[in-house]
Amino acid sequence: MSKVFIHYLVCAVLAGSMAFMSGCKSKNPNAGLYGANNLYGDPLIDDVPLNPDNLGLPMEGDRSLFEAVLFGYDSFEVNPAEAGKVEAVAKYLGKGKGAGVIVEGHGDERGSREYNLALGERRALAVRDYLIRLGVDPANIQTKSFGEEMPDSMGHDEAAWRQNRRSVFAIY
Amino acid sequence: MRRIFLLGVALWLGGLAYAQRVEVRKSGEGKMTINLAAYRTASDTASRTFLSVLQADLNRSGYFKVVSAGAELNVAGSCSVDGGRLKADCQVFKASSRQRLLGKSYKAPANSARSLAHKVADEILLAVAGKKGMAAGKVAMVSNRSGRKELYVCDMDGKNIRQVTQDRSIAVGPGWTPDGKNVVYTSYKRGYPNIYMTGRGKPLSNHGGLNASGAIAPDGKSMAMILSRDGNPELYIKSLRTGRLKRLTTTRRGNEASPCWSPDGNHIAYVSDTSGSPQIYILAKDGGRAKRLTSSGTENVAPDWGPNGYIAFCSRIGGRYRIAVTDPSAQSLKVLETDWADYEDPSWAPDGRHIVCSRTSNYRSAIYLLDTLEDSPVALFAGSADWFSPACSP
Repeated sequence: MSKVFIHYLVCAVLAGSMAFMSGCKSKNPNAGLYGANNLYGDPLIDDVPLNPDNLGLPMEGDRSLFEAVLFGYDSFEVNPAEAGKVEAVAKYLGKGKGAGVIVEGHGDERGSREYNLALGERRALAVRDYLIRLGVDPANIQTKSFGEEMPDSMGHDEAAWRQNRRSVFAIY
Repeated sequence: MRRIFLLGVALWLGGLAYAQRVEVRKSGEGKMTINLAAYRTASDTASRTFLSVLQADLNRSGYFKVVSAGAELNVAGSCSVDGGRLKADCQVFKASSRQRLLGKSYKAPANSARSLAHKVADEILLAVAGKKGMAAGKVAMVSNRSGRKELYVCDMDGKNIRQVTQDRSIAVGPGWTPDGKNVVYTSYKRGYPNIYMTGRGKPLSNHGGLNASGAIAPDGKSMAMILSRDGNPELYIKSLRTGRLKRLTTTRRGNEASPCWSPDGNHIAYVSDTSGSPQIYILAKDGGRAKRLTSSGTENVAPDWGPNGYIAFCSRIGGRYRIAVTDPSAQSLKVLETDWADYEDPSWAPDGRHIVCSRTSNYRSAIYLLDTLEDSPVALFAGSADWFSPACSP
């Protein structure tokens, strides 16, 4: 067989195997229903509306019971590594131990304050989405974004920023 | 050979883009000299305050240079206090022709000498140059001076600061009503981020989730804002009369923020990160296709649409935050000359020429006044605490 033919054959096999692999469903148990790192959800599924207003909703909760979920920079997807923290809350509520949870979203100090309010809300909603997927009633999950207004760390470096990009669980 | 050609094209385009940017004018160019030496004040504090504030306002306007001799414009008149009332009259003459450009009398309570001076300064500018001044404007801002983030208002010269909220909570993103009488802001005073107006106990918006960035339209009839009630942060308009809500964006994987209205009330400029980074877009108020306005810089946020039709915004360039100005119809861009600190949250002054913004250095924030024409930045308000998120009255 000529060298050129073997060359083309190898390329075809590689190309074919890449096409085959990209069509494959992930076997990762943390993947949820929609593919590897897409815990936020498939874009074709509707967003779940929040409660119509916040009158009569509990204003505060107990923040000491569960660890906050941390996020990467400019990211608002729940990392598979952080998913266990959300699962712990879903399990707790599933046992009837609390009435519900306020998910408080935060961002680091970079970017404008108003844009960070939206980012913080998006992080809270990502966690809420996952809780809903784990069976928690949407009416019992409230979101409250603090943007960059209530940092956990008062530092100004990567470590502080990473600590501040978080969703906090306030159980009520 | 081809590589050198492509490199040459890239350099040429880069040069074109740079040439569109900063416009430099010599300092002092274009200012009218004005002389108030002939203006007589009585010896009481109020009268003397009136004159000194008037002179400071004329200098700060950027259009005048107060001199003591050989001016193009002369101001004559007198100011005194009579029975608790301040009385001032003011005439402005062109030195060369003796033509009188302004001749007016004023009366005000003796304790409002400063605001009378601001009013007269603006009237002098209008009579002489036909331009709207900023001296009588106000600046709303947030500070943590009391230990909590509350709203404050000061005059356009940084004086007469007063605390406007006592919510003992967190205030974010103030903006003025079109009549310049009230401030709309986001507060957590009832637990969740809702939009409030000063002087009203009931929130303007308290949907589930986020209620933020309330911006009242120029006609006062509706409010643009960011809500997450449908499951993700989007841009909405609410009728202030009927409460009817209209959703303007449907960017399921993007976030919107910071809406602001065009002066004619027909368009909204806002931030969206649907492209992967926060950029500024323009939408008609009835909806439709958004037009992207910004492309350079890693972040373009905090737009403010000025009375002159230009949009000021904050752009992250080379790792720091700078104030940029663009004409949406001409696609021109100017980045304002500032030092190495971070300049954010621009707000147009009522004169459509100056911009008030925050300046942060070593993580401390103060309020600064920038000029889009020739003058250097000036500190407007600073103090032992942090001052940020300024908004100028219309």
